[in-house]
Amino acid sequence: MSAWTSPAAIEVESRLFRALAVLRVVVLVNAIGLTIYRAANFDPPVAALVCALVMIGWTAFVLWAYAAPSRRTAVLVGADLAIALGLLLVTPLVKGPGFHASVPGFWVSGALLACAIHYRWIGGLLAGVALAAVDLGLRQEIDQSIYGNAFLLVIGGPVVGYMCESVQRMALERDEAQRAAARAEERARLARAVHDGVLQVLALVQRRGGELGGDAAELGRLAGEQERELRSLIRGEQPGRGSSRGPAHGMADLAADLAALETGSVTVSGPAATVEMPAHPAEEIVAATRAALDNVRRHVGEDARAWVLLQAFPDRVEISVRDEGPGIPDGRIAEAERDGRLGIAGSIRGRIEDLGGKAELITGATGTEWELTVPRTGVDG
Amino acid sequence: MSTVMVVDDHPMWRDAVERDLAGAGYDVVAAASTGREAITRFAATRPDVVVLDLQIPEPDGVQVTTEIVSLRPTTKVLILSASGEQNDVLAAVKAGATGYLVKSASRDELLEAVERVAAGDPVFTPGLAGLVLGEFQHSAATEVRGDKPTLTDRETEILKLVAKGLSYRQIAERLVLSHRTVQNHVQNTLRKLQMHNRVELTRYAIEQGLDGD
Repeated sequence: MSAWTSPAAIEVESRLFRALAVLRVVVLVNAIGLTIYRAANFDPPVAALVCALVMIGWTAFVLWAYAAPSRRTAVLVGADLAIALGLLLVTPLVKGPGFHASVPGFWVSGALLACAIHYRWIGGLLAGVALAAVDLGLRQEIDQSIYGNAFLLVIGGPVVGYMCESVQRMALERDEAQRAAARAEERARLARAVHDGVLQVLALVQRRGGELGGDAAELGRLAGEQERELRSLIRGEQPGRGSSRGPAHGMADLAADLAALETGSVTVSGPAATVEMPAHPAEEIVAATRAALDNVRRHVGEDARAWVLLQAFPDRVEISVRDEGPGIPDGRIAEAERDGRLGIAGSIRGRIEDLGGKAELITGATGTEWELTVPRTGVDG
Repeated sequence: MSTVMVVDDHPMWRDAVERDLAGAGYDVVAAASTGREAITRFAATRPDVVVLDLQIPEPDGVQVTTEIVSLRPTTKVLILSASGEQNDVLAAVKAGATGYLVKSASRDELLEAVERVAAGDPVFTPGLAGLVLGEFQHSAATEVRGDKPTLTDRETEILKLVAKGLSYRQIAERLVLSHRTVQNHVQNTLRKLQMHNRVELTRYAIEQGLDGD
C-alpha cells in the first residue's frame, strides 16, 4: 500500500481531514443542541451532561489528532469508531428501551467518514455496516426514517471512501506526469548543452583537420558531415523551424527542401524566408537539382565543389547549379539527345519543361552552370 | 596591426581563434564568452575588429553587433558562426556586421577574412549573398512606398555571382571590371541593406508614435 503513503496521497488525505474537521464541528453543535433540547428524556438527567461532555471532549481530541498524518493510526481510527458505537450502545440505558433519537445522532458521521478517508471504500463500508447494525439492533421498532438513516450510513461510507481513493490516485498520476515533464525538460536541456558542445568540437575537428591535411583532412571532412547532419536533426526537433512539412497541406517550402541538399562540398544559398510552392513542382525542382549535382559528382569529381542558388520572384523561381568543372563541349548534350542517350538532358530539362519552365546549360571559363526557371503561377500540382 | 576581440562561449574555440590571430601578428586585446562581457570589454578596449559568435549567452550576437556599431562605428564586426543560422546571420549583417564566415572555415580563410574586414572590405560567403539577394527581392515584391534603397542591376548581378560561388577575382574577370570595383559594389549592397534596416526601424518608430510628436 505504498501508494497511499506517498506524499501526494497523504496531502489529499490531509485536505479531506481538514474538511471533515469542519463537518465534525457542525454535527457536534447539532448533537449538543438536540441533547439539551431533549435533556428531559435522559434518566438520570446528568447522563445527558456526561454524553455531551464525551462528545465535546472526543471531538476536540480528534480534531487535534487527525491534523498530523503521523497520528492517524489504526488505534485512533478504531477508537473513534468505538466511541461512536459506544454512545449508540448507551442510548437505551440513558433514554430507555423505547427511545426515538440515539444520543449521538448525526455525530457518528464524523467517525464514519474518518474510517472512509483513512481506509477508503472498505473502511467506509465496514464502519457504515457496524454503525447501522448497532443502531438497528437497539431499536424496538424500525420505521421508514430509521431504516433510511441506516441505509445512508451503509452507502455513504463506501462512496466517500471510493472518492477519496480516486482523488488520491489522480494526485499520484498528476505527480507522476509532472515528474515526467520535468525529466523530459531536463533531458532536453542536457541534450541542447551536449549537442552544442558536440557541434563545436565537430566544427573544430573539421577546421583543424583541413589544416593538417592527409588523413586528418579526411577526418575533418567526416566531422563536418556529421556536424551538418546533427545540426539539421536538432533544427528539425524545434517546432516551427526548418521543417519542410511546415507549409500547408499540398504545399512545400522550396527553400528548406533545397537546403537539405547541402553537403561539405555543396553550398546552398537562398532567401531567409520560406518559398512556398505546390508540392509537385517543388519535388520536381528538387529532383532536377539533385540530378544536376549528381552530374557534377560524376563528371567533375566526388568532392567537386558546387553552388546552388535559389531566387524567388513573385512570378517565378530561379535555381542555379554551378560547378567549377571543365564544362561540356558545345553540342555534346544535343548530340546525346539525338543518340537517344537522354542522361542529364532528359532528367533535368524534361522535368523543368513539364512544369512550364526552362532549363539552360551555360558553360564557360568559370565552370558549368544550369539555370532553371519555373513559373510560380499557372502550375498546378 | 589591428587590435581584435574574440567573442565565443566555447573556450576551446575561443582559444583556437585567439591563437591563430595572435600567431598572425594581431593584438588580441580582449576575449569574452557572453554578450554582457563582450559589451563591457569592448567599451574598455575599443578593438578595431570583433570576431563574434552569434550564439552566445544573453544578449545574443545580433544585439552585441548593434551595441558595438553604435558605440564605435569604425569597429568592424566579423561574424564567425556555425552553419545553418541564416536568419541570425542576416539580422547581424543588417545590424552592421561587415563579414560572415562559417566556423568550419580554415585558419587561412579566417585570417584573410579578418584582414579584409579590418581593411574595410566586406566578407561575403555565397550563403550570405543569397540571403541579401533574397532580402532585396522580397522587399521589391512587397514594397508599395518606394522609400527603401534598391539594388542596381550591376549590384544584383555581382551579388548573384558571389552567391554562385565565384571569387571577386573571377567576377572581375567575367564582367571585365577591376577587383576594387567589384568590392565597392558588394560594399554598396551591404550599406543599402543596413539602410534598409534603418528605414524599417524609422517607419516602425513613426507608426508606433515614437518619433516625438
